[in-house]
Amino acid sequence: MQNTRRNALKFIGGAAAGAVFTPAPWRLITDTALWSENWPGVPRPPRGEISARFTNCSICPAGCGVRARCVGGQPVSLAGVAGHPLSRGGLCAFGVAGHHLPYCPGRLTEGPVEEAAGAIARAAANCNPANAASPLAVCSPGETIAVLDLRPGRTASWTYRRAMGAVKNGLYLTAAEAFSGAAVDLAKARTVVSLGAPVLDGWGTPGNVLAARANFRLIQVEAIESRTASLADLWLRIRPGSASTLVLGIAAAMKKGSVTGAAAATGLTERQITDLADELTQHGPALVLPGYDCPEAWALNQLTGGWGETVVARQEAPVPEHWKNCAPVTRLESAPDGSIRTLIIDESAPGDYIPWNAIRRKLVADNPVVIAFAWSPGGYRRHSLFTLPTAVFPETLEDIPAATDSPAAVFRLAVPLVAAPAGVVNPPEFVAKAVGIDASNALRERADAIQKAGRGVLIAYADGRYTPAGQVRPDDFWKALNQGACWMDSEGRRTAPPAADFAAGDAPPADDARLPLVAVLAETAAATAPPSPLMSKLHRESNLRLGRSRAALHPGTARACGAGDGGRAVLETSLGKCEIEVVVDSSVPPGVVQVAAAPEVIDICGASARARVAPL
Amino acid sequence: MISEKKPGKICRYGMAIDIDKCTGCGACVIACAVENNVPPGNEGATDLTGITWLRVFKVDNGEEYPARQAVYFPMMCQQCGVETPCYLVCPQQAVDVDPATGVVGQMPERCLGCRYCMAACPYHSRYFNWWDPKWPAGMEKTLNPDVAPRMRGVVEKCNYCHGRWHAARQRAAEAGLRDIIPGDYAPACVEACPAGAIQFGDLNDPSSAPAKAAKDPESFRLLVKLGTEPKVYYHSKREWARRIGDPSQAPAPKEPARG
Repeated sequence: MQNTRRNALKFIGGAAAGAVFTPAPWRLITDTALWSENWPGVPRPPRGEISARFTNCSICPAGCGVRARCVGGQPVSLAGVAGHPLSRGGLCAFGVAGHHLPYCPGRLTEGPVEEAAGAIARAAANCNPANAASPLAVCSPGETIAVLDLRPGRTASWTYRRAMGAVKNGLYLTAAEAFSGAAVDLAKARTVVSLGAPVLDGWGTPGNVLAARANFRLIQVEAIESRTASLADLWLRIRPGSASTLVLGIAAAMKKGSVTGAAAATGLTERQITDLADELTQHGPALVLPGYDCPEAWALNQLTGGWGETVVARQEAPVPEHWKNCAPVTRLESAPDGSIRTLIIDESAPGDYIPWNAIRRKLVADNPVVIAFAWSPGGYRRHSLFTLPTAVFPETLEDIPAATDSPAAVFRLAVPLVAAPAGVVNPPEFVAKAVGIDASNALRERADAIQKAGRGVLIAYADGRYTPAGQVRPDDFWKALNQGACWMDSEGRRTAPPAADFAAGDAPPADDARLPLVAVLAETAAATAPPSPLMSKLHRESNLRLGRSRAALHPGTARACGAGDGGRAVLETSLGKCEIEVVVDSSVPPGVVQVAAAPEVIDICGASARARVAPL
Repeated sequence: MISEKKPGKICRYGMAIDIDKCTGCGACVIACAVENNVPPGNEGATDLTGITWLRVFKVDNGEEYPARQAVYFPMMCQQCGVETPCYLVCPQQAVDVDPATGVVGQMPERCLGCRYCMAACPYHSRYFNWWDPKWPAGMEKTLNPDVAPRMRGVVEKCNYCHGRWHAARQRAAEAGLRDIIPGDYAPACVEACPAGAIQFGDLNDPSSAPAKAAKDPESFRLLVKLGTEPKVYYHSKREWARRIGDPSQAPAPKEPARG
């Protein structure tokens, strides 16, 4: 071949065309793709020393043991503590993502701290009949200052009681539940009848429930096909809002009375109700668990023989003697209507959410002062004058009282894994300081009192060692609790809790032509606090759970309402309205709107209510 | 591409999932996302465009109340052992079948985003990054340093927590061992399941849970008729659930109402 310009060009052109059929361009594409891995849109995970730390989850009252994998001190994943006597290595979806909570969008970090402290101090000083004539008085005679504790039984609860005890007209309020100071023992139960309790979906301590599941027959009585209903051994579908009537019907059947009325109201047959009563009495030990809308169902356990066996009185963990001179526990429903001038609501530790209208009627009519402690928007912040930001798991140092399914008292700490942002307040210390008492060391005082009592064992999570509490020095006891441990009381002789009443529950919502549907709450186990942003995986990214601001309708009901799957709509009840996203689901009974529990939904629905859905 | 053969024991990792135990709580889904740095769903993400390496499906028997029953199916990559469809179709050699573990891996840095693998996967277990990975401010501090976040425009999938496998190998090497210490390696979903429904092990080890499940007449694999030898074994005592998972076992039931 001659060295001509034409041949050179032919060679270059041929080489270029041939290169397309070699790996070279593909390699170039690969390398180009590799560069894109480091583009600025992709965050780089931080590096650091890897370590394991232990704590207890305070997101819900279960208080499961947590092992945190930390990188440079920052938790990057959470898992259960294997061999934990209560949580048994389990951790729910909310707990697994608990370390994301401090970064939730909308997290509160600022609030009118000075103004709120002043309001509490003024109310504490002036809620006193002796000062009523003072021009500075903010309370008239008979008006009170009150703390509403959504998760009673904590050391913080004792601080609130002490603070309210130091105020002349102070009240310490808890949720209006019909059952307290008692626990259930699932390990003893052979038959469990749940009237809507989410037994297999976050109720009690999930790990403990699942460990005991193989030993009991589960009968779920519920209006909707919840996760528990679909997994129960037997599901009895009742009419929405008729659980209280069924409780009375079962009680009547046990006493060989008539169940005709209960059958008509619930939609069950008389035979089903008498069979249920027989099952409870003949296949014991039995346990009846109430749902969100029928707390009085606890009383049925007195008729089944489970009172004192599957439902037992639980001793509280010891407290320092000088704390006991404090305000008594008062149920919210017992407080006189229109009597509370200043109300402090602690929702930093999520617990039962009480519909606002049940609280509102206890407040004075003219300019009540409501102060909420919260870490997230929503909740009572919407109704309060002042909202003070608080720390959230895993920033907080707080104790978690025993869960419903723990017959023995426990004391465990949620130990901070990350620092709380500047500007947040510690609610019990804030209230105590405002009324002039010192509670800055309350947890340590409580731990010392428990160690001094010498009962029970200390279980260290790092090595799984059980040590009798009496054999541990006070400093070591406190140190162990801060490194991830649990004190568990020794179980004494089993006693029955105080008798419970069959107090009349709420009547089923009456028919209303304007509100043709019945709204039923779902996902009540996670009603109060917003979850990790990663929960989108369970909600709209997979539709495994309903998720906040979503409501499920039967296809026929959705058609009748003019709502389509994924469409926006308004849910309206007699108490108000809120915006929802519609999910069409054939497992929802016709005429029912199944709506995920959230503060704004509970405010307008309660446990169940007549409702209508209208497309936006 | 087929990796070079690595020294040490040859494993064939698989899973045994007891769907009678699964409560559909979703702890496995969240643990998987936390472990593998899967970002929270973009505002526009739906069940079709979101990323869930592991997804739990509710499946019912198609009956009306009171005969209605339901189970929950945790579904991740089934780790096809033969004629792996995604591996066969990838034009970019971004899919890797590790001969040392049998795990089908994905190399996002090689992926072009053509999504042939998504079309080929019979289990719909591959997910495309439609959006830039974004975490709320500050939450990127909680990312797992063992796993690189993926960029927009690439496909990703379950790889049995490859980062954990590497970490277990490193621990074994530090202990002077060639093979992973038994029990030292398990994917995040296995560790997180509070019901103990998901078990993990080496199918070559007859004492492992998956190997036992492989011989259990109440176990089944999904779409086994395709001949891709998936390595995830499901177990249920309910015949209707087994038939839905593997219709070859018996005549098909009524059409499920949803699934």
